[in-house]
Amino acid sequence: MKGIQAGDADALSQLYDRYNGILKALILRVIHNEAEADDLLQEIFMEIWNQAKNFSEQKGKPLGWMVTLARRRAIDGLRKKQAYARAEERLQNETEQQPDAWVHNATEEEIVLGDTRVLIRKVISSLPPAQQQAIELAFFRGMSQREIAAKTNTPLGTVKTRLELGLKKIYDGLKDLKDEL
Amino acid sequence: MNFEQFQNQSRLYVIGALEPEELDEFEKAREKFGKQAEDFISKCYALHEAFALSLRPAKSSDAIKDRLMAMVKAKKQP
Repeated sequence: MKGIQAGDADALSQLYDRYNGILKALILRVIHNEAEADDLLQEIFMEIWNQAKNFSEQKGKPLGWMVTLARRRAIDGLRKKQAYARAEERLQNETEQQPDAWVHNATEEEIVLGDTRVLIRKVISSLPPAQQQAIELAFFRGMSQREIAAKTNTPLGTVKTRLELGLKKIYDGLKDLKDEL
Repeated sequence: MNFEQFQNQSRLYVIGALEPEELDEFEKAREKFGKQAEDFISKCYALHEAFALSLRPAKSSDAIKDRLMAMVKAKKQP
């Protein structure tokens, strides 16, 4: 990141090689469109290049900063392009077919991968499905508690409790993985 | 709001899930707890990394990187 802050294009190239797959997966999870995700990925790395001076190591690691930026841009992009309704429909279909996307995606191939992703997913999959769903809708869809309550036909207080309990469990579970994050 | 409640709210805050009416109280508590609050909020952003890392990386088109690097080289960092 220091290289990028100094205007070194090779440093951006290395950063891209290291993190484009993670950021693309995040964007795809939000907007569900391959071509739009590629375009947004390019815009996000351009923003990383332009905004690198605003990154401070004291406030966290580069990946955290990039993920925060990418998520915000993806959710903004989703709403600006008015693709929300279409993506909602897709999500609805996916949710009906896969009530628990995180758990569903944990294939045998992933289980054998002894990497951080599997460990994190283990933490997430230990949550009750309702908590996972609430967090998924809040984080990957940018939904408010009220929107989640309406979508899942659940009382607002229950949604809040699910989010609080789920996030606390994940946060506590991540403490053991701290060095790897 | 005690600090434990603030911690619960902080985790919602970093993922943008606090409702507008909760934000005022959260900001007051944030000011009240000062550095302790800021340090905790910073730690909560690890959730962002974790959610991203929980996904299987997706392949992007090789052309994206080529376009990106061409744009970067054409435009010096401000």
